[in-house]
Amino acid sequence: MLQLKQICKTFSPKTVNEHKALQQIDLTIHKGDFVTVVGSNGAGKSTLFNVICGNFFPDQGTILLDGKNITWMAEHKRASFIGRVFQDPMRGTAPNLTIEENLALAYSRSKRGPLHFALNKKDTAMFQESLAQYKMGLEDRMKTKVGLLSGGQRQVVTLLMCTLVPPKLLLLDEHTAALDPAASEKIMQITKEIVARHQLTTMMITHNLNAALQTGNRTIMMDSGKLILDISGKEREQLSLQDLLALYSSKSNKAFDNDRMLLT
Amino acid sequence: MVMLLGSLQLGILYGMLALGIYITFRIMNVPDLTAEGSFTLGLALSAVLTIQGHPLLGLAAALPAGAAAGMVTGLLHTKLGIHPILSGILTMSGLYSVNLLAMGNSSNLSLINSTTIFKMASNLLPFLDKDIVKLLVALLFTAACTILLILFFKTHAGLCIRATGDNEAMVRASSIPVDQTKLSALALSNGIIALTGALIAQYQSFADINSGVGILVVGLASVIISEVLLNRRTLSGSLLAVLVGSIIYRFIIALATKYTFLPAYGLKLVSACIVALALALPALKKSLALRTARKEAQAYAAAETNL
Ligand SMILES: Nc1ncnc2c1ncn2[C@@H]1O[C@H](COP(=O)(O)OP(=O)(O)OP(=O)(O)O)[C@@H](O)[C@H]1O
Ligand SMILES: [Mg+2]
Repeated sequence: MLQLKQICKTFSPKTVNEHKALQQIDLTIHKGDFVTVVGSNGAGKSTLFNVICGNFFPDQGTILLDGKNITWMAEHKRASFIGRVFQDPMRGTAPNLTIEENLALAYSRSKRGPLHFALNKKDTAMFQESLAQYKMGLEDRMKTKVGLLSGGQRQVVTLLMCTLVPPKLLLLDEHTAALDPAASEKIMQITKEIVARHQLTTMMITHNLNAALQTGNRTIMMDSGKLILDISGKEREQLSLQDLLALYSSKSNKAFDNDRMLLT
Repeated sequence: MVMLLGSLQLGILYGMLALGIYITFRIMNVPDLTAEGSFTLGLALSAVLTIQGHPLLGLAAALPAGAAAGMVTGLLHTKLGIHPILSGILTMSGLYSVNLLAMGNSSNLSLINSTTIFKMASNLLPFLDKDIVKLLVALLFTAACTILLILFFKTHAGLCIRATGDNEAMVRASSIPVDQTKLSALALSNGIIALTGALIAQYQSFADINSGVGILVVGLASVIISEVLLNRRTLSGSLLAVLVGSIIYRFIIALATKYTFLPAYGLKLVSACIVALALALPALKKSLALRTARKEAQAYAAAETNL
């Protein structure tokens, strides 16, 4: 499904600030995988996502999606089959557009001609129905500007925008980290529902190690731009939090920086 | 009465200019200086073609010419990575030569002896007063332009433009080519502005190479007056409010020149002051609120110690 071959990315090469953010990453993700990605700050997790969705290009290596080489494809073209949700709730939605306009924008991509009305009854009804599933009362506020919503509500809208047309690959970059614990829990629940319903191939970065082990079917760990751990199946089921931390220390020769880690 | 009618005519005609400026300034969030050049471009083309006996062609030519000017700015910005405001300044500056070329290297042209669209309409409607006809023609164009814009911003393309000004990263992530969106917004805006120029040339039967100077501020003033005075929730409401803003602006200017010390050459200064003041309003309100809050706190503290 998604294949990364020998991906390298160096920031500010040949200067004092040279930083190897990704070093020879080899990774294959199968259809229907739900991979959680962990690693300390600056490990290169977001950089990996940026390379996959074309925010910038790798210095070296190939990216294949369903066998097709997308290494040099423009970001907006990839966006039609890669969905992405960021940590910052402000990033995924247009604040001065209403909920239904935001959803329509995401939904009408490549569907009709540019001069067709963006909103129609049928689509709006479908949006409303989809929102109603998450029981946040958003279905009654279709004409509210998204800028007036809470962070959690905005993330739900963003998630829905990314999945109205199910993408081949869904990338979640700490998408619950900016929310309070209750909202975070709720959004995580909704994420699982959406992924299960469409059987989406998903990668999710998280700093919550518990969530990382309990969500999805596979966990990878990054450190200093390298993949240092990739576990799934039985081995992963039997792994405890302490085991994971121990594995990290032994592989990277340092203790996990747990300033932002949630060990609960 | 004459003043009232004249201001109304000008307000409605320049309302189109304000709509064009609203697209770049408010929807795309970039003040676009191309406006000064594309306004004169429309004015020059319209004047020259009217003198040659084709007033309608003059109007028709202005729209694509202005759109092309907007595209130049858009290409400088999106493809060559030049700062959007600087891109506008470059196009505006280049257009000065183009406009002079269009006007046959003379800095002003008179259409007094030519048939303009306003004269044509008067001939068609001989039973109506000339000024009323002028008003009707202005209303016709501005109404058509407004309705088309309101409809356009409800389409997918229109929504893309609005979203681009709002959150560019999100538009890109929605698989929409942002560069194209920016180009079309600039083309649309400058097309409308050039059409305004074309109508103004025929309205005043006169074209001057410097007509566009300060026109951006005129448009901004109308937009800002509409925002300060009128409460609008939807985009359609905002577009209509901008027209009202333009009419109010013309009345202010007319009153200022008629009843006060203000000589005609002071107009641009007044416009600039209106815009600066209106833009400063939020900051002024904030510092005022802060000062009152501080005073109250001090008074409260003083009362406490006195007890
Ligand atoms: N555009 C950029 N230019 C220069 N350096 C960058 C850029 N983006 C990231 N980096 C650097 O690359 C390294 C990896 O960053 P990245 O954002 O991928 O980390 P991360 O694993 O997502 O960390 P976090 O958990 O804090 O989000 C960091 O040292 C960062 O400073
Ligand atoms: Mg990150």
